[in-house]
Amino acid sequence: MAHPAQLGFQDATSPLMEELLHFHDHALMIVLLISVMVLYIITCMITTKLSDKLILDSQEIEIIWTVLPAITLILIALPSLRILYLMDEINDPHLTVKAMGHQWYWSYEYTDYEDLGFDSYMLPTQDLAPGQFRLLEADHRMVVPVESPIRVLISAEDVLHSWAVPTLGIKMDAVPGRLNQTAFITARPGVYYGQCSEICGANHSFMPIVVEAVPLNHFEAWTSLMLEEA
Amino acid sequence: MSYLPAGARGQTKDEAPRNKVNIKGNIALLTRVAITLQEMRWGFRLLGILDVQNTPCARDAILHGAGGSVTAGLLHFLVTSRVRRSFHVGFAGFMLTTLGSWFYCRFNNAKLRVQQRMIQDGIKNKIVYEGTAIDPTRKHGAQTPPGPS
Repeated sequence: MAHPAQLGFQDATSPLMEELLHFHDHALMIVLLISVMVLYIITCMITTKLSDKLILDSQEIEIIWTVLPAITLILIALPSLRILYLMDEINDPHLTVKAMGHQWYWSYEYTDYEDLGFDSYMLPTQDLAPGQFRLLEADHRMVVPVESPIRVLISAEDVLHSWAVPTLGIKMDAVPGRLNQTAFITARPGVYYGQCSEICGANHSFMPIVVEAVPLNHFEAWTSLMLEEA
Repeated sequence: MSYLPAGARGQTKDEAPRNKVNIKGNIALLTRVAITLQEMRWGFRLLGILDVQNTPCARDAILHGAGGSVTAGLLHFLVTSRVRRSFHVGFAGFMLTTLGSWFYCRFNNAKLRVQQRMIQDGIKNKIVYEGTAIDPTRKHGAQTPPGPS
């Protein structure tokens, strides 16, 4: 989850988020250099003593400030498009989970396991145990096996919602009547938090997403337990 | 009257429990805050944009750029004695050196990450296939050890 007053991205947990962070650093360095160049040009313009009123045109500078921005845009666009298409790849997922948005909770269905489904409500502040995170904890977590490709099918039962987990690099709208698909792989076990990212009513800020990645044997034990309880 | 929405289950003043000292909870919370502060790496953001401490290759690129800028500008001034032009040359040196160092470092970084992923997959496959019939390192004709009886 995010640290207090955090400005940057959270550490990446999936390979896709690592690629996004890599691209973000690349784009930010280009943005920094352009900003430094603009600052320098402004300083030069303020401090120059030249005041030539007869400059009409200059082909050389026109060529430079047309070609250089085009090259800069290509340098940004190529990695961006590569990641865009990478995000659409769904490579043989081991598990499919349906995440349905409701007002104001998420429900998860593991249809690979016959009839495994449950609702995930936010834990109220007064019910939190010491050390738990306010407005982020849920009563039931979406448990997935670690290092396995997981496909998530996202939809909604009433209004628009959005299923987002920043550390996995996932944000997908939950649209009623539409099934959106995304996939992720968790690189390490842990608990990963997200929040609904599409305004959906009074309690839009109070329907968090909690993904728990566990080793496969623990996941199988959990599914057995959940099926027994159902 | 509480201004908190229903989902946060805000309580009015009358409903809230009177002050109770929750020592265990406070200690746990303080511990959590201390760990969080330790884990937080306050990076210095150049122009408020780039976190040079936590972005791989950023610090080296900026330092190389600064060095290249000073070197280029100084050399030009020593040769030509033109101040303003030397500043322009220094600035150009900064841009080129920073970009060059940045892309060189990021390219090597990317190659290392690819190798790291290949090694990770290799270790995983070795653990999964070791001792089985499809183990690629198994010597031809060798028998697989018997499983538990």
